[in-house]
Amino acid sequence: MSITSDLGAEIRRNAAGIDVAGVNLSYGATHVLKDVNLKIEPGEFFAFLGPSGCGKTTLLRLIAGFNIAQTGRVMVGGQDISSLPPWKRDVGMVFQSYALWPHMSVAKNVAFGLEERKLPKVKIAARVDQALDLVNLKHLKDRKPSQLSGGQQQRVALARTIAVRPKVLLLDEPLSNLDAKMRVQVRRELRDLQQELGITTIFVTHDQEEANTICDRIAVMNDGVVQQVGTPMALYDRPANLFVANFLGTANILDGTAETAGAEFAITGGGRLPFPAKENVQPGAKLVFRPQNARIAPHDAPKAPGMTRLDGRITHVEFLGASLRYGVAIGANEVLVDVPHQAGNAPLPTGAPIAVDLDHSRALFLAA
Amino acid sequence: MTVATGFSSEKAAPAARQAVATPGQWLTIGAIVAFLALFLLIPVAMVILVAFQDPNSGAFTLVNFADFARNEMFLRSFANSLYVSAMSVVWATIFALPLAYFTTRFEFRGAAIIQTLGVIPLIMPPFAGAVAMQLFFGRNGSVNLLLGDWFGINIPFMEGLNGVIFVQSVHYFPFILINLTASLRNIDRSMEEAAQNLGCSGGRLFRRIVFPLAMPGYVAGASLVFIKVFDDLATPLLLNVKDMLAPQAYLRITSIGLKDPMGYVISVVLIVFSVLSLFIATSTMRNRDYATVQRGGGGLAKRPIGGLDLVMAWGTIGLILALVLAPHLGLLLLSFSTVWSFSVLPDGYTTAHYTRVVLESGQYIWNTLLYATIAGFIGIIIGTAISYIVLRTKVPGRQWLDYLASAALAVPGVVLGIGYLRAYYGVSLPSGQSVTSLWIIIVIALAVRRLPYALRACMAAMQQISVSLEEAAENLGANKASTIRKIMVPLMTGGILAGFVTSFATASVELSATMMLVQNTSDAPLAYGLYVFMQSPAGRGAGAALGIIAVLIVGISTYLSQLLAERDRSTRAGS
Amino acid sequence: MLNRRHWLHALAASVVLVGAGPAFAQAPSGKVTVVTSFSKDVTDPIKKAFEKANPGLTLEVQNRNTNAGVKFVEETRSNPQSDLFWASAPDAFEVLKGKNLLQKYDLKVKGIPAKVGSYPINDPDGFYFGFAASGYGIMWNERYLRANRIPEPKEWSDLARPVYHDHVSIASPARSGTTHLTLETILQGEGWEKGWATIKAMAGNFNTIAERSFGVPDAVNSGQVGIGIVIDFFAFSAQGAGFPVKFVYPSVTTVVPANVGIIAGAPNRAGAEAFIEFLLSPAGQEVLLEPTIRRLPVNPETYAKAPPGFPNPFKDANFQKMLHFDVDKSERRTAVVDTLFDQMITFQLADLKAVTKLMHEAEGLLAKKANPQARAALDEARKLVSAVPITESQASSDTEIVGAFRGGADAKTRQAEFERRWAAFSKENYAKAKAKAEEAVKLAR
Repeated sequence: MSITSDLGAEIRRNAAGIDVAGVNLSYGATHVLKDVNLKIEPGEFFAFLGPSGCGKTTLLRLIAGFNIAQTGRVMVGGQDISSLPPWKRDVGMVFQSYALWPHMSVAKNVAFGLEERKLPKVKIAARVDQALDLVNLKHLKDRKPSQLSGGQQQRVALARTIAVRPKVLLLDEPLSNLDAKMRVQVRRELRDLQQELGITTIFVTHDQEEANTICDRIAVMNDGVVQQVGTPMALYDRPANLFVANFLGTANILDGTAETAGAEFAITGGGRLPFPAKENVQPGAKLVFRPQNARIAPHDAPKAPGMTRLDGRITHVEFLGASLRYGVAIGANEVLVDVPHQAGNAPLPTGAPIAVDLDHSRALFLAA
Repeated sequence: MTVATGFSSEKAAPAARQAVATPGQWLTIGAIVAFLALFLLIPVAMVILVAFQDPNSGAFTLVNFADFARNEMFLRSFANSLYVSAMSVVWATIFALPLAYFTTRFEFRGAAIIQTLGVIPLIMPPFAGAVAMQLFFGRNGSVNLLLGDWFGINIPFMEGLNGVIFVQSVHYFPFILINLTASLRNIDRSMEEAAQNLGCSGGRLFRRIVFPLAMPGYVAGASLVFIKVFDDLATPLLLNVKDMLAPQAYLRITSIGLKDPMGYVISVVLIVFSVLSLFIATSTMRNRDYATVQRGGGGLAKRPIGGLDLVMAWGTIGLILALVLAPHLGLLLLSFSTVWSFSVLPDGYTTAHYTRVVLESGQYIWNTLLYATIAGFIGIIIGTAISYIVLRTKVPGRQWLDYLASAALAVPGVVLGIGYLRAYYGVSLPSGQSVTSLWIIIVIALAVRRLPYALRACMAAMQQISVSLEEAAENLGANKASTIRKIMVPLMTGGILAGFVTSFATASVELSATMMLVQNTSDAPLAYGLYVFMQSPAGRGAGAALGIIAVLIVGISTYLSQLLAERDRSTRAGS
Repeated sequence: MLNRRHWLHALAASVVLVGAGPAFAQAPSGKVTVVTSFSKDVTDPIKKAFEKANPGLTLEVQNRNTNAGVKFVEETRSNPQSDLFWASAPDAFEVLKGKNLLQKYDLKVKGIPAKVGSYPINDPDGFYFGFAASGYGIMWNERYLRANRIPEPKEWSDLARPVYHDHVSIASPARSGTTHLTLETILQGEGWEKGWATIKAMAGNFNTIAERSFGVPDAVNSGQVGIGIVIDFFAFSAQGAGFPVKFVYPSVTTVVPANVGIIAGAPNRAGAEAFIEFLLSPAGQEVLLEPTIRRLPVNPETYAKAPPGFPNPFKDANFQKMLHFDVDKSERRTAVVDTLFDQMITFQLADLKAVTKLMHEAEGLLAKKANPQARAALDEARKLVSAVPITESQASSDTEIVGAFRGGADAKTRQAEFERRWAAFSKENYAKAKAKAEEAVKLAR
């Protein structure tokens, strides 16, 4: 994708931060958004991530002006747009269904927003070409949307939105209607485009991999509440709660109780490990660790320092290519442990008694 | 391509449909063709055959059509019919658009009531409606008497071609309203939101996005209005406008003693031209893609409206409703009046007409309900079947089913009635009675005459359903029949209901075919009773009372079905 | 469910017919079905009285306008299920008779004279019978006339005066047997040329030409038009219903009977005969006097019971100077006269009115200030307007013309051909007349 400089320059100049403060929204008795506060930096590629029904699309539509909050405000570029109707917000949105108008050609679709802005005809034509060029679809400008593939429709929808040079770009599950291979390709294109244009972008998705791979920062949402905001890596490594830990990647979660005056965590069913000194662990917190943060060792192997050993039995093995994932029954619990795979190594048999060593420094204690 | 919005077109129809049609579909086609042949094609053919015979020798000839083309009056009539039909579409659109748009796009209190009131003009009982309109808008109607008193002017609302346009657009605009509303409700809301997001709103949004997307419904409605006005004879005749085609045909056919083929020639012209305009309407819609339904996904966006906008919206709606419901108000007044002659309001009021009607005409009311309901059901069953075959199968020549069924629109009721008698009077029941004396024949005539309405509504509804929804069902193991039953019919509910309501409502007040076919007064429908009343000075009030009862019956049923539709939509939206 | 009752009825009726047969002079029973153009106001009282006088018989009334009724009887001839045809226009009965759709019957009832006015009451061949007389005349809405300051009309020729311009209505003769007879009355009374001139002069003042008989009184009743040319009972029954209307018989008029006849192959012939006998009996005749019916009985005795002011065609001087009405002549040229009217007047009404208005204007100007040149132009215009494309003898005996309207293998020209010619003739004449009238107006100023 190439970019013509003035488009990028204008969008970059326009790039605006988004500030959502104290937003509450309910439909009747259903409280859909609960006290949402977010600050998105100019030029940032930001994701709303969460399971379906978590309120992420509602929040996105709120920013676009299609939903009205009961309390709170939305600022774009320092301007309060809460009371503006959608058509005055200058906030570009790409719909999940693309919402390409079937009665207009590709070029007409892209020209639409420009015509609404009463640009001179010549300028519109130039900008349509430019936008279509940006998504490599200039040769299809006279087609009707129904004559395009899904990926092409998606790109037209994007071009249509970009063409008006909005202050921010909202993408509502833009990849959900594409097949797996296209999804990987398009998400990279999206990222490149965003980088080139420097446009503030919000990307709504339920797929953590999508969010991780292309976004600068992610807001994880559940049940109408923003659970945590941070870079993908920070969220993965330091999830704020069990929901985030579980939603981003795989996590082992074990119950237990604090013992010895709060110095140690006793895992229900055996094993204990020290609480980290500096962290303030909530009462009722659970032990959380990633499959790759534990090791599998024979029963009789010596225990390394800084590790806690749990005895168990292998219940199943999954071959993931780069690693083997063992399911190990420990008392009533089952934990997953990843072991890097090297050619020639045979997997351990199921049913074999085994020890799981937990690395204290990587263990997390999270409240529910 | 697996696009959920289903931008799929007929051309993109799946390769899975390699077979032209399943045995079940062939059977359905056979049944429809047989029905149409028996109750439309053969009877009509037996009547219009005369158009192709030399009036003197009886030999086959086209000279009658040459006579038609050479006659200044016929050509003038033809041009007038075209002009009146086109202008009626324009005015009907002006009436229907605001009502449809406001009630579907805004959180509007009383949308169901507005929708219902908007349908009522369609139920203008024969004779009674025109009498009532004359009383209000006529040369010496209430409005002109007042205008004359106040300003010394007289506005010829009801004179000449403009009068016909006025009455017709008031009468038939619900066709556009009903179909446009169904269509508007089927537009995925993201289509509009995308436009708003790009800076478009208000009237421009409507003009550039909403209206074009609602085209299938609009074209369906507008073509109905066009053809209906083109073929309608009652209104021009009651306004004493004779230089239009349909009245000419009627006058020719029903004049005594004239052995004259021109009436049938004009009928043929009417039928051919109606089919032609339908053909044009459908072919402009074909090859265009309007499947925007993603039920359960987008759904309908109703925007809040308030302040000045609300006042203006209500003002517009109020004005339109006042205008289009004036005939019914006039009818209501007439039904309670003692004498109403050359005065703004009746001389006095009485309930005696209702007493008379209830005592004398209970049977008519019951018959009407029964006939119109059955006719409506026949209409939507055949309408859905034809829509499916035309839109979803590859049977060669399937469009002709559509054209054939729609041609019924253009067949004057008198022609159909005479055709039935001519074709089936000789067929006797074991009792020696003729088949045509059974009341079910009246029902079939009504069903055939109203089939085009149901068909257009079903077509529009099905056009907006993405093929992928059906494919999903078939993929999950549903066969064609259960896909239709479980997926398409529920999704088409709005459209089918619209079709049913139109057929039911208009069948309730249909007269022209019934006139020929009623053989026992106890089998006669309400419109017939009304006609009988309206033929005498003392019967005017009673006829109006019967008309009001007809309007009430149809109005209440329409309102109930609106409520049903609304509930149906809200359960769907809630999922 | 509705029909079971009728099947039983029909079954019962046929059992009676088969079982009893004409040999047994048993009282007729069952259902008598009558096809009629008469309104409920007329049929209901008669039905009531008939059923009271003939226990065991019920009258089933099928209401159709005259034309549809004729068509219906024609289409159902293979297996008739109606017994009687009952309507005003004698020519409808002539048509039915001509197509062998009526059955001969010898009347038993006594006391009915041979003629009312100059019109024979019964069909000389015994196919149909007059049961009530009606005369033609002018009906008007009093409120309308008062509001528009229009004098009450008395004669046909009054309606041609400028003051009545755009205030008069009539039903098309092709659609209304009564109008047809009105036209014939004028044509026979004044002669072909002069008659048409009168008709056209009147027609130039027409506001509307209705397509059904009742359309005219309906418009007068509601005040949409001021004056209507109608059959008397329309006016009488409107008065009966309380409408502010009045009626007058012009001096050139005629009374004609409204008729009843048995349909060929009537399923309940005995019942049909009973109905005719009842209708002409003193009891049946008396029902005609009811305010909603108001038809003139054909039994002169019945008038003794009539309310004061009720017209009596057998006594009133007005009816005695009526012309002789030639039914045969009328019947022979029905189609031609009606078509002429439609082609010259109905379908050219706008042109005719425009010309007439100009002629009224010129006349008005000339009344103030005489101008021979203008008078000549005006006379020329009048002549052009009143011209008729065919002569009286052509109308009734030109084989080509009559043949075109009758049909048949020997006819050379089609009806459509003549229509086109006549329409073109009138259109051209009206255009020329308009130019002349404009000239007259200009000169007279």
